Amino acid sequence: MASIIRPAVFRQSCLNIASKRAFSTKPSPTFPAINKQAASILSKNALGNSFVKEVVPKSIQVAAFHASGRRPILPPLPQVIDGTANDAAKVPSPSPSHGSYHWTFERLISVGLIPLTVAPFAAGSLNPLTDALLCGTILIHSHIGFEALIIDYIPRGRLPGTRKAFDWLLKLATVVVGVGLYEFETNDVGLTEGIKRIWTA
Amino acid sequence: MLAQRILQQSLRRFATGKQLTTSKFAIAPTAMLGSPIQTRQVATQNLTPTDSYSILVAQRKNRPTAPHLTIYQPQIPWILSGLNRITGSVLSGGFYVFGSAYLVAPLLGWNLSSVSMAAAFGSWPLILKVLTKFTIALPFTFHSFNGFRHLTWDMGKAFKNQTVVKTGWTVVGVSVVTALGLATLV
Amino acid sequence: MAALRTTSRLFKASRPLFRPMQMRSLATVTDGYSSTSTAPPSQTSTTKEPAADPDAKIKTFHIYRWNPDEPATKPRMQSYALDLNKTGPMMLDALIRIKNEVDPTLTFRRSCREGICGSCAMNIDGVNTLACLCRIPVDTKAETKIYPLPHTYVVKDIVPDLTQFYKQYKSIKPYLQRTTPAPGGKEYLQSKEDRKKLDGMYECILCACCSTSCPSYWWNSEEYLGPAVLMQSYRWIADSRDEKKEERKAALDNSMSLYRCHTILNCSRTCPKGLNPGMAIAEIKKEMAF
Repeated sequence: MASIIRPAVFRQSCLNIASKRAFSTKPSPTFPAINKQAASILSKNALGNSFVKEVVPKSIQVAAFHASGRRPILPPLPQVIDGTANDAAKVPSPSPSHGSYHWTFERLISVGLIPLTVAPFAAGSLNPLTDALLCGTILIHSHIGFEALIIDYIPRGRLPGTRKAFDWLLKLATVVVGVGLYEFETNDVGLTEGIKRIWTA
Repeated sequence: MLAQRILQQSLRRFATGKQLTTSKFAIAPTAMLGSPIQTRQVATQNLTPTDSYSILVAQRKNRPTAPHLTIYQPQIPWILSGLNRITGSVLSGGFYVFGSAYLVAPLLGWNLSSVSMAAAFGSWPLILKVLTKFTIALPFTFHSFNGFRHLTWDMGKAFKNQTVVKTGWTVVGVSVVTALGLATLV
Repeated sequence: MAALRTTSRLFKASRPLFRPMQMRSLATVTDGYSSTSTAPPSQTSTTKEPAADPDAKIKTFHIYRWNPDEPATKPRMQSYALDLNKTGPMMLDALIRIKNEVDPTLTFRRSCREGICGSCAMNIDGVNTLACLCRIPVDTKAETKIYPLPHTYVVKDIVPDLTQFYKQYKSIKPYLQRTTPAPGGKEYLQSKEDRKKLDGMYECILCACCSTSCPSYWWNSEEYLGPAVLMQSYRWIADSRDEKKEERKAALDNSMSLYRCHTILNCSRTCPKGLNPGMAIAEIKKEMAF
């Protein structure tokens, strides 16, 4: 869930301060208290609220200078419905390699990581083969994790170019890291032994 | 009796009407006279289905999106799920950064061998070492223990709301304790 | 005697003129009112109750407002204060009271007021639920905030547009599909055990509380089906009488429709009917895995 990556969040959290003030309006003693219209939570300009109106002279209020623009990343698009309300949503064609097989493989990798993670703690360190296996499994696990991030946060329909770029960037990064780890495994002491060495330094 | 009723009704209407004329709602004279025919000044207009559909399409484009992440109550399920993703990204990100840096290190003249890194880290003050270890160990322990939780769910177990909350807090507790242990004892 | 009664009745009848509320029935049919633009919400308050009573339990409700007739105006929060002593126990009672007595422009959906129609689904105090099943917290210090279902397109005020949700529901073919006729020629029989498998799924009223609580659905509602629709899909996969199970599973077997579920479990947590869509989705994944 992507508090860090996803858009709207920034904008809204910035505006939270404004809305807090809006929420603090107290009911007036006479009963039907429609309080004064609260400052819009999504208003694009914080200058609209009462504090500023009181303090800042009118001439300045109008020209809000945007030193840092409040530009949300990927704000929700205007609503567009494909077809009429009575048409069913489109069903994609089956592709198990991105669906069920992918999911099963992902679980097997995760399950496989359990003994590989526990072993170095139990045995002190790993032999080079198991160590290489651990490295490879972590690499695949990471790759799948990053892939999920890309699928979740870079919609293909909306940003086809960016999506493609990130897909290939991830593939490239995984290969580069794989080669780097191979170098580390062959030239150095291996992942678990290396971490142990630094950790106990 | 009937005559009285009529008188009473017209009196009431008169009283209400007077009240109304002083208000900002202007009242039609017909209503004041109590005429049974009231004309509603609303014009209707025929629309073809295509026209009304195009109005709907235009209307949809104006619609705002309801607020979501910022207003949703912080609850164990989604907060921990978010942390699982964040800790995973941090760990894997570090892993990727190290892997690629090790590959290009000779080209840039860096020394990333385990011996030199251990020597560099060993020269840090103790408190800094423990803090660094803790900040690295916590994402690792959390992601690992929460991974167990996810694998249990994938087997179709432990889905009750109370169980989810209980296992969630357990994972938080266990991962903090083990991270502290890894940072100080090992 | 009769005359006396009439005069007293007359006196009583003339009393409403001190309550401006009574004017509305007449005023709304005149052209003077209908031709002008809608009065702004701040001027529409019509009831004046007597001075605040000392044991009044005044609670403030902040409600999300947006009017499609003024599309340029941004959504805003509007505050209403109600005396809980004069309001029913549920959030829906409060909303109806606001609409009846304070602000008739407030727009929301409601129908059954007993949690079976799913119309009044909304986000109350940060949690998606049915307003008719949600008690008003008696703590008057805590101010209640009411929003539409999260990350939905807003039609007006707290009315969300669920077109995409219904279209997705339609796409999973939520009806019995068979190729062979019934064995006895009359009805499709089912054992008690098989029937039991549908418990906890057939009760879903499609209020969309779970789907709109799911962050995955927030980001990818175009392609991801969301918990409610997936649970209904499993309701037919699990039905012993249905003969199109493989087709149903194949329709989910891609990276978006089903597998955007990351077991966040907001769905199960928020379901106002106490169902568990998260578990149903896990069962689908399990069945499709091996």
